Amino acid sequence: MIRGRLGHRKAMAFSVISVVVLLLLYTWLSIRQHQINPSDTTIPDWGQLCDGVKQMISPHPRTGEVWLFEDSLATGYRLFCGLSWGVLGGFVIGVLMGCFRIVEAVLGPPVKLFAKIPPTAALAVFFVVTGTENQMYLAMIAFGVLPVLAQSVYLAVREVPQELIDKSYTLGASNLEVVWCVIVRFILPKLLDAIRLQIGPAMVYLIAAEMVFGHVGFGYRIRLQQKLLNMSVVYPYLALLAIFGFMMDYVVSLMQRLFCGWYVQGGKR
Amino acid sequence: MEKLSPVLECCGVSHWFGTNNVLHEVDLKILRGEIVSLVGPSGCGKSTLLRAIIGTHPPCKGKVVVHNIDGSANTVTRPGRDRGIVYQRYTLYPFLTAKENVAFGLMLDQSSLAGRLFKYFNWRRLRKDHLQQAEELLVKLKLGAALNLYPHEMSGGMCQRVAIAQALIMKPEILLLDEPFGALDEATREELQQMLLSLYAENCLMQREGKEPPYTVLMVTHELNEAIYVSDRVVALSQYWDWQGVGHVVCPGATIVYDNLAPVFQPGDQRDYVAFETQRQTIRNAAFEPDILQDSQQFKQFWEDVMQGKGKGVLA
Repeated sequence: MIRGRLGHRKAMAFSVISVVVLLLLYTWLSIRQHQINPSDTTIPDWGQLCDGVKQMISPHPRTGEVWLFEDSLATGYRLFCGLSWGVLGGFVIGVLMGCFRIVEAVLGPPVKLFAKIPPTAALAVFFVVTGTENQMYLAMIAFGVLPVLAQSVYLAVREVPQELIDKSYTLGASNLEVVWCVIVRFILPKLLDAIRLQIGPAMVYLIAAEMVFGHVGFGYRIRLQQKLLNMSVVYPYLALLAIFGFMMDYVVSLMQRLFCGWYVQGGKR
Repeated sequence: MEKLSPVLECCGVSHWFGTNNVLHEVDLKILRGEIVSLVGPSGCGKSTLLRAIIGTHPPCKGKVVVHNIDGSANTVTRPGRDRGIVYQRYTLYPFLTAKENVAFGLMLDQSSLAGRLFKYFNWRRLRKDHLQQAEELLVKLKLGAALNLYPHEMSGGMCQRVAIAQALIMKPEILLLDEPFGALDEATREELQQMLLSLYAENCLMQREGKEPPYTVLMVTHELNEAIYVSDRVVALSQYWDWQGVGHVVCPGATIVYDNLAPVFQPGDQRDYVAFETQRQTIRNAAFEPDILQDSQQFKQFWEDVMQGKGKGVLA
């Protein structure tokens, strides 16, 4: 049945099965590839992958750097700061656009325009404007997610029933209180949903920029290692990226449960 | 009657949208403690009049004046604290529980954002008091079991009662009900009608004690029986009146065509539909018949009757 219920245990079982099937499929592919070419590194076997992970977590013999630590720190910092700035900007612009017609008239067209430009295509612009330091990555993520988030927030604000706003005034609310106590609280779960959806694109922008300009970070390391066909390092990095994204997503969904219980329990999610 | 002061005055209120005339010189004065029902055919402008009173759509011509209990008066230009509103679709804040919903207005009215942030401990004390008041009112409205429920966890009737409590706790000069029971089943509807009768009984009691009646209500409804049963006065708005007789070439909009006393009931009194029939029929003739265009003054005896002492309840 469409949208029929599935028990928690069953859902967990299906999730585990899907991961196990993926791992089995990979193992089969790897074995098959190694039968054709025993020294293959494009689909490394589990032993090769372990060696790759050791390489990641051991200090480099020449520089003493631990790749995993250095790259996680750089990428994590850029992603967190870039996303934070993007969310803050998108939130403020979206709320203002949704609340005030004049702001909508002024900022609506540029926001729509920027939302259509992929930040990866404007890499050169960010490079020229901000240089190749961290600011470039932050600006790229922030400007990448900002227009989409601003539009999502704007639409969410427009969905707040007019009657609820009018009623707030009859209860003695000021304009600021209507925005802060009613509109922001009403759209908060949708803002968190929008942030969750923007984590993926933000990572895409960052990895793309790191691949081109980076000296450290996941994108830089992946590009370097893939040139050497050293997939035993590339795959763990990809897995780490997935875990990174998943954890961020989990944290935001946890915030949603914590601060917007009414939305989660109300069957809207 | 002399003791009763007006709470709301619509003075020559006209409204139009482009070339579409909706309201034409609506004059309505509501006295403190009255429960007035506003009826009329679909599309006659009841909601437009209500919006003009709320202040979200101020009239194109004329004015709406609210007289406060302290003797001051203000012309309505925007929604304000002196007018409470309850909508048909029980508009509650979905992110607040029933108790918090009711206390929300007290919070907005008695504290500021800065105060809540920078005088946190004062705010916590005040908050406790607000929640206590909200709880007491909800218990009075038989919602003691729903204090901590969110709107999505409550039935339509419960939500509507919370919405009424939310408006009442603010002690507005006038409470506006926009088809408040339209989306409810018959049993819940009757229960809420009883609640309105209880408010009216409280008004009468206060008046007998020489105090100002606390609740003044203007209710928009489609249901004539409900209008006659719940209120002490029925006002009908209609576009079906003899506008040609007063020199208009096109209909200038709806105006008040019926304004009369309604029988006063005590909570628990049975509705006698047969007794309502004469008044129902008169309202139908005055407001709901497109083929019978009558002088708009013909069915407006409210003030005469009140002056002659025919009023009951708070109008006695």
